[in-house]
Amino acid sequence: MSKTILCHCEDVEVEELYSALKQGYGDIETLKRYTGIGTGKCQGKCCFIQTLRLLDALKSEGENGRPAFAGDVTSIHVPTLRPPVLPLRIDDIVDCDEEGT
Amino acid sequence: MTRSAEVVIVGGGVNGLACAYNLAKRGMKDIVVLEKGYLGTGATGRCGAGIRQLWGMEENIILAREAVKIFENLDAELGFNTFFRQGGYLMLIFDEHEYETVTKTIPLQNRLGVPTVLMSPEEIRDFIPGLSTDGVLAGAFCQTDGTAYPYAVLWGYGEAARRLGVDIRVMTTVTSVASRVGGGFEIVTTDGTYHAPRLINVAGARTRDIGAMLGIDIPTEPYCHEIAVTESLKAFLKPMIISPKKGFYFSQSLRGEIIGGVGDENKESSYATASSPDFLFRFAKVLRDTFPKLGKARIIRQWAGLYDMSPDSRPILGTVDGLDGYYHACGFSGHGFMLSPIVARLLTELITSGTTSIPIDNLSLARFKSKTLTRDPYVVG
Ligand SMILES: Cc1cc2nc3c(=O)[nH]c(=O)nc-3n(C[C@H](O)[C@H](O)[C@H](O)COP(=O)(O)OP(=O)(O)OC[C@H]3O[C@@H](n4cnc5c(N)ncnc54)[C@H](O)[C@@H]3O)c2cc1C
Repeated sequence: MSKTILCHCEDVEVEELYSALKQGYGDIETLKRYTGIGTGKCQGKCCFIQTLRLLDALKSEGENGRPAFAGDVTSIHVPTLRPPVLPLRIDDIVDCDEEGT
Repeated sequence: MTRSAEVVIVGGGVNGLACAYNLAKRGMKDIVVLEKGYLGTGATGRCGAGIRQLWGMEENIILAREAVKIFENLDAELGFNTFFRQGGYLMLIFDEHEYETVTKTIPLQNRLGVPTVLMSPEEIRDFIPGLSTDGVLAGAFCQTDGTAYPYAVLWGYGEAARRLGVDIRVMTTVTSVASRVGGGFEIVTTDGTYHAPRLINVAGARTRDIGAMLGIDIPTEPYCHEIAVTESLKAFLKPMIISPKKGFYFSQSLRGEIIGGVGDENKESSYATASSPDFLFRFAKVLRDTFPKLGKARIIRQWAGLYDMSPDSRPILGTVDGLDGYYHACGFSGHGFMLSPIVARLLTELITSGTTSIPIDNLSLARFKSKTLTRDPYVVG
């Protein structure tokens, strides 16, 4: 059976998102922490938007035996974006601080 | 609409859900948990995940020891993988004063059944290759300490509580609480009003605000603490590394990330939680100083949460004189995740039988009437 990968960094499949929804992990902040989507190297740049599209498509009715999304439309938002914007090497952080002071 | 319940729990953090589960297991019906955000919005969802018995006060050692016993069987009990593992805690000792303290606390821990050992710098280097022992006089190592994934502990308690009939209401903010004439409480929320004979106030750093609505003066203060996490690295570090003197801690998660933080003594109390570049600089330096090879690793994410600090950095637990049916647990001062399994069990004993299997009088709110406060030397952060 073919698999559809939703989050490449953390290797999360679309089916895992559906399974989390079925178990009641319905809001995006919780889905992120339950499945791991968006917590890898790219920090969600590749997968958050796809996840939100899937949630949007599911929110009114379940299709093909998939769960209807229990949350309301207003809860479909991008999870809190955390710094740093890009991964930073520890050496670079320390050196840049020492040069700056 | 007004609903009635036997118990209303304010706060869907680890303490709220663990209490709900323990009460339901004891046969209590009609339990409602009210959470203003999603589960884990508070400190539980921001925490460093450390579970340690390496404490200096008998009271903390016993509570943590009993909590570890529960953690050891928690997955089976809840039917949920909490990712609890006992990689140990290694406390680094940097000065004579710390050294003197640890030569007293290790025998105390051992007497209480906690298997801490003292390590020399050479032993530390053999044990954890790559760890710098610059300035390190010794280490205290406890193998049965460890970590768990805080969200998994929270969800595990939550799912088990739901199966036992607990009503967990997320996105529901408690806006006011009052005592009712004739006993019990009225709890007004953004989604209806509840009447209940018992109220458990476990709202994390907001516990004092809920208490204030009932005229209770809880002297806790919120302090912002930050965490940063690196990309996943090959597994190389089993124990959590901490330093009470330098205020840092970090460990490697099962996914391989290094995750930890470092305190800031100059911070003032505030409810504001923001990630700061200052923290990033200080924590990056801690990691590189302690593990020079980590300089090549990249930090991918940082976040912030609140420590709910009590005046003596010890939890505030139990009842309040003259307010029947009221219970609270707060002031965890940065170590409430590790204690939650035992705190929930003790509160449940108190609520269902009026007494506790481990005395908690020392942790009552009333202790702050006395001028002398006793502190544990090993509060980190
Ligand atoms: C950065 C950081 C690192 C930490 N590291 C560790 C560690 O390594 N080990 C450890 O043991 N502890 C650690 N802690 C401490 C630990 O996270 C807390 O002590 C513990 O999670 C407290 O759990 P709680 O359930 O009491 O509170 P919380 O998790 O804060 O839960 C309280 C809940 O109440 C809700 N609430 C508040 N007001 C209302 C209202 N009016 N209506 C409805 N709901 C409301 C909040 O949204 C919140 O979800 C750390 C904390 C931080 C911030």
